[in-house]
Amino acid sequence: MFLVIPFLALMSAATSTGPLPRPGNFAEIARQADAARTADRMGEAIRLYREAVRLRPSWNQGWWWLGTLFYDQDRFPEAQAALTRMVAIAPKPGPAHAMLALCEYELEDYPHSLKHFEDWAHGRSPGTDDLGDVAAFHWALLLTRQGRFEQALYLLGGRARRRGETPPLIEAMGLASLHLARLPQEAPPEWRERIWLAGKAAFGASLSNFEGSHEYSSRLLAHYGQEPNVHYFLGTLFAAEHKNAEAGAEFRQELQISSQHVPAMLALAEAELGGYRLAEAESLARRAVEVESKNPDAHHLLGRILLVAGQAQRSVGELELAKRLDPERSAIRFHLASAYRELGRKQDAERELAAYSALQKREANLSGSGKAESTGGDVKAPR
Amino acid sequence: MTSILKALLLAAVVWTLPPGAAAHAQGGNSAHRSFQELSQAARQARDENREDEAISLYQQGLKLKPEWDEGLWYLGTLLYEKDRYSEACKVLRRFVAQDPKVGYGWAMLGMDEFQTQDYGRALDHLQRGMALGLGDHKKMASRVFYLTAVLLTRSERFDGSMELLFSMVASGEDTAPLVEPIGLAALRLPFLPREIPSDRREMVRMAGSAALALQAQRFEEAEKLFTNMEGTYPKEPGVHFLFGAYLLGVRPDDGIKEMMRELEISPSHVPARIRLAEEYVKQQQFDRGLSFAQEALRLAPKDASARMVLGEALLAKGDVAGGIRELEIVRDQLPDLARARWDLFRAYTAAGRTADASREKEEIGRLGQQDPRH
Repeated sequence: MFLVIPFLALMSAATSTGPLPRPGNFAEIARQADAARTADRMGEAIRLYREAVRLRPSWNQGWWWLGTLFYDQDRFPEAQAALTRMVAIAPKPGPAHAMLALCEYELEDYPHSLKHFEDWAHGRSPGTDDLGDVAAFHWALLLTRQGRFEQALYLLGGRARRRGETPPLIEAMGLASLHLARLPQEAPPEWRERIWLAGKAAFGASLSNFEGSHEYSSRLLAHYGQEPNVHYFLGTLFAAEHKNAEAGAEFRQELQISSQHVPAMLALAEAELGGYRLAEAESLARRAVEVESKNPDAHHLLGRILLVAGQAQRSVGELELAKRLDPERSAIRFHLASAYRELGRKQDAERELAAYSALQKREANLSGSGKAESTGGDVKAPR
Repeated sequence: MTSILKALLLAAVVWTLPPGAAAHAQGGNSAHRSFQELSQAARQARDENREDEAISLYQQGLKLKPEWDEGLWYLGTLLYEKDRYSEACKVLRRFVAQDPKVGYGWAMLGMDEFQTQDYGRALDHLQRGMALGLGDHKKMASRVFYLTAVLLTRSERFDGSMELLFSMVASGEDTAPLVEPIGLAALRLPFLPREIPSDRREMVRMAGSAALALQAQRFEEAEKLFTNMEGTYPKEPGVHFLFGAYLLGVRPDDGIKEMMRELEISPSHVPARIRLAEEYVKQQQFDRGLSFAQEALRLAPKDASARMVLGEALLAKGDVAGGIRELEIVRDQLPDLARARWDLFRAYTAAGRTADASREKEEIGRLGQQDPRH
């Protein structure tokens, strides 16, 4: 099933029609609700939790279980309502933000879903690894839909390393790799093969299985070599293998097909920067900034190039702009700290370094490369 | 789906309701009078094919009585019939949550989810429906089997898909709509029929037709189709594997050549390695067989078939302890896999572990399957 990590055995649920305990006895009802839930009597558990939160609306654990039970039955409107209450009253909602975001994803309320995934990422209690994986996966789908492909691939790569290959993961990686800003269910049937091939190639590369990756990328090239983004993607695969000449050739090929392809310009500029060919690098980065003036990556790279070229003041201008455009990107904060230091702005540099550390820790948690903090609660993984 | 097909399908399923539904619908104290009126009007509108009106009446009835299962079922099926799939899903989810043991409820939900392209959930729910049983709803069963098979292929579970598709053929289904699904599963292409790239639709059809001919033991026709497919699409992944799988049964040396060609085109092809390992073991070229089995398992460490063939190759080479070790892992992974049980029975016997051999024999009896080698 679509990323199902079942946490409640739905099929063994027997809908009880037994009487409720004496009205008004919150503690007894709550106890019975928990007992029904742990015994997989889901219908009865829902009925009892509903009654319990009616008697005590401030019982946030009750809202949590009600929300997750509804979620497990794919009853997303009811789940959303319960989790919204939970988030509103719990002092530290932690994983409830992720659960709420997942409900909103299913209800196609994507702006709120994105917001709550971000709230979840900002929190200090990501929940269990299972919840983290499911949430990060759906967040990545929404980031792809928004055109934030690199961030999406960062999250998906972490999942690939931890969980291995699954068809939904391949599909998600394929969409992000080919810069197709759609959800899987929104992709037209004629895209299926290229998405699958790109996903398989990206998955192989994320596990450093470049032999397997090439098998699929060459099939992609054979059938879709004239489509936009394919050569750019192949370039990123070569770059991951440190085959810089081949990568450069693919990025240039992409620019032949899509002359305004900013990621290809930036990838080439990055290569020029790596070779200390600063004039060429700056020219490419400036072209990228011209094409997409609000692209944080373009300003970030231009800022880095200027910093290496000894133009710290101009570098700060570009990096501050990049930070305004994407305040959550740790690497921007790191380079901004370096630029401030060059200018002797010690306090600013320290502030940016602190932000860098905090953001990097969060990114590591989300990608699975770092150890996620435990909630300490008994939160189980949802679908 | 055409509306005629849907109408036929719904006609086949809607008359059966979960136990207690009618009682729910008719339960009658005075407080439910307006509900009773609504439910009767909804039924009448449905019977008279006034679908939009029936939908509205069922919705009103469900506002008064949210757990009215007859209302949930008919509203769900009517919305499906009107191509309002997302709404139908929401209603049917409430229906199955109330009575999770009604197979056709899950199946109907899965069919809806298929239409919304929520393929993961659709497959899960269709399979749940099949496991619980669809009763006598033959038309619905046919559609559910078809959708399950094509979704198994899309999720790269080709063997399960093929098994289901051939069971449909065996039960007398019209084979014309099955040609492309069988071709896709045979070529191991994880696409729905509507996702087949237009420049290779003919290749998929050739593969499907050949596999069907083979199944019907029309060997001459099958070989002609395979040869034609190979000549037209010599560089496409899956083509040489499929032809090779056929040839291994009739001209093994030619089959080996085809499998090797497949590996040139698809270097990470695990099933080709498994078939080669099996064939070399059969030809008593144990080192070669072992080498392909090891490669297959390296590429797919979780693949039970690869591990089973490795176990068989080790046994054939005389490494009884090594073979048993691998086969015990397979048995623990797939306890109902008769071939692994038979392998273990022979291995335990050879090792003088009579108690273990007897236990395996008992399990084989439980499974009721013949030794696949005989």
